[in-house]
Amino acid sequence: MVTESDLGERLRRMPPGSAVALRLDPARYADHYLLAINATVRDVGIETNARSIYVSVTNPSALVWSIAQTLDVPPERLRIVDAISHIMMDYRNPLPNATYLESPRMLENIMLRVEYLLRKEPGQRHIVVIDSVNSLAIHNPTKLLNEFLHILLNNLKARQVLTVLLAVRDDSSPAIDQLLALVVDETIDLGEGVAPP
Amino acid sequence: MAPPEPGPHPATARGPRDRCSTGIEALDNILEGGIPRGSTVLVAGSVGTGKTTLSLEFLLHGAERGERSLFLSVTEPAAKLVENMRSFEFFREELLGTGMLTLVDIPVVYERLGLDHEEMRPDEIRIFLATLDAFLTESRARRVVLDSLTSLAYRIQREERIRDFMLRLSEILTAHGCTTLLVSEIGPQPGRYSLRGVEEAIVDGVLLLGNARRHGDILRVLQVIKMRGTPHSRAQYVVEMTPIGLLLAPHFQGESGPEE
Ligand SMILES: Nc1ncnc2c1ncn2[C@@H]1O[C@H](COP(=O)(O)OP(=O)(O)O)[C@@H](O)[C@H]1O
Ligand SMILES: [Mg+2]
Repeated sequence: MVTESDLGERLRRMPPGSAVALRLDPARYADHYLLAINATVRDVGIETNARSIYVSVTNPSALVWSIAQTLDVPPERLRIVDAISHIMMDYRNPLPNATYLESPRMLENIMLRVEYLLRKEPGQRHIVVIDSVNSLAIHNPTKLLNEFLHILLNNLKARQVLTVLLAVRDDSSPAIDQLLALVVDETIDLGEGVAPP
Repeated sequence: MAPPEPGPHPATARGPRDRCSTGIEALDNILEGGIPRGSTVLVAGSVGTGKTTLSLEFLLHGAERGERSLFLSVTEPAAKLVENMRSFEFFREELLGTGMLTLVDIPVVYERLGLDHEEMRPDEIRIFLATLDAFLTESRARRVVLDSLTSLAYRIQREERIRDFMLRLSEILTAHGCTTLLVSEIGPQPGRYSLRGVEEAIVDGVLLLGNARRHGDILRVLQVIKMRGTPHSRAQYVVEMTPIGLLLAPHFQGESGPEE
C-alpha cells in the first residue's frame, strides 16, 4: 500500500494546476480514505500553505468535519461545499465552514461555489478535493459529469489549483475509469503494490 | 465552440470606454466588455429570477467607479433595496450619502405630481416624463435602473400609448447618455420578454433571467437575447448569487459531444 509520506511526496511534486485521481480500494475503504485526507488536506495543505476546498457528495459535511478534526486538520484550512446533506435531510446544524447546495445534480452551482471560495481569498493557495467521482456518478448521467469535470478541471488548472479526485475502484463498471482517464493528469492507486486479497 | 455570430450592426472599433461594465465579469466577457454606453436594456424574467439583484449590482459597480447611479423603484421601497444591497460585500454606505447612488420611490413621485388615477392619461404621462427628464438633468446620472417597467406600464393600459411612452422614455434616456436597465416582469412561459411585446422591440438589448429544470432541481439561468452593436453568445448560463456578486457558469447539457 502507498504510504502517507509517499503520497504526500507525489502530490507535492505535481506541477501547479494538476488534477490527480486517487483510486481507493473498496475492501479497504476506511484506511484509504483516511490516508487520502491525511496526505492531501492535512500534510500537503500544511507543507505548501494551501487551504482545502472539499466538495462533499458522499458524506454530510458534519461527518467530514469531525473526521478532519480527529486527524488534526487545522480548521482554518478547510472549507466544505456540501452537496449531499440537503437530499439526505441532514441539514439541522449548518457548519460555519460549510456551504450547502440543494442537490448533487446542481453541478454548475458546485463549480460556482468553488469559484466563489477561490475568489474570496485571492493570492491564497488552494487544493480542491472532490469526494467522490463515484458519488457524482450516482446522481448524474455520465455525459453531464464528463462536461462538468472537463470544465471544472480546466478552470482549476488555469488558476493553478491542485485538484484531487477520490474514486473508489469499481471493476464492474469501467465508465468512471474511462471518464477519469480523459480528465486527470495522473491516477494513483492507493492499493498499489499489494496483491489483491 | 462556434465563433459568435455578427450582431445586427457591424462591429466598429470600440474601446472599453464605449462599454458600460456591468460588474459581472462573465457577463462583461459575453458582451465584449459590457453594455454599449447609452443603451437601454430590458432585464426580463419571472419573479425571483434575480432581476433586482442584477440591477443593484450594476448600479453599485457604477457608483463605485464614480458614475452617478439612479434606481427608480416602483414596486419595492428604497429602504428595502438598501437592505438587499448590504448583502454585497462591496457595498459601501458612503455611496448613498455622497449622491453617487440615489434611490427614488416612484409612488412618492406619483403622489407629489398628483398622478393618482388608476390609468394615467396622456397629459399625466407627459408630466411624469418631463419630471423624469428634469430629474436626470439634475442628478447627472450615468446609470439608471427602472424596476419595474412592467408596473409603470401597467398604469398605461392602451398599447399605442405604451409604445409612445416607451419611445419617449428611450429618447430621454438616450439624450442624457444614460445606460439603462428596464426591469420587465414576465410569466414563466418562454418566447416573450415583456407584457405587451412592444417594449422589447424598442430597446437596444434584452437580458433574460429564468429557471431551468434538471430532474427535480431548479437552476437559475441567464441569457443574452439581444444586444445592439455586440456580437454575443446566446447560450444559457447558470447563475449563482454570492456576496461578491453574480457568478456565471456554462449550463451543462451533457448531450452534445466535444466535436460540436
Ligand atoms: N446573495 C444571495 N444568495 C442567495 N440568494 C439570494 C442572494 N441575493 C438574493 N437572493 C435571492 O434571490 C431571489 C431573487 O431575488 P430578486 O433579485 O429580488 O428577484 P426578482 O427581482 O427577479 O424578483 C430572492 O428570493 C432572494 O432571496
Ligand atoms: Mg424584483
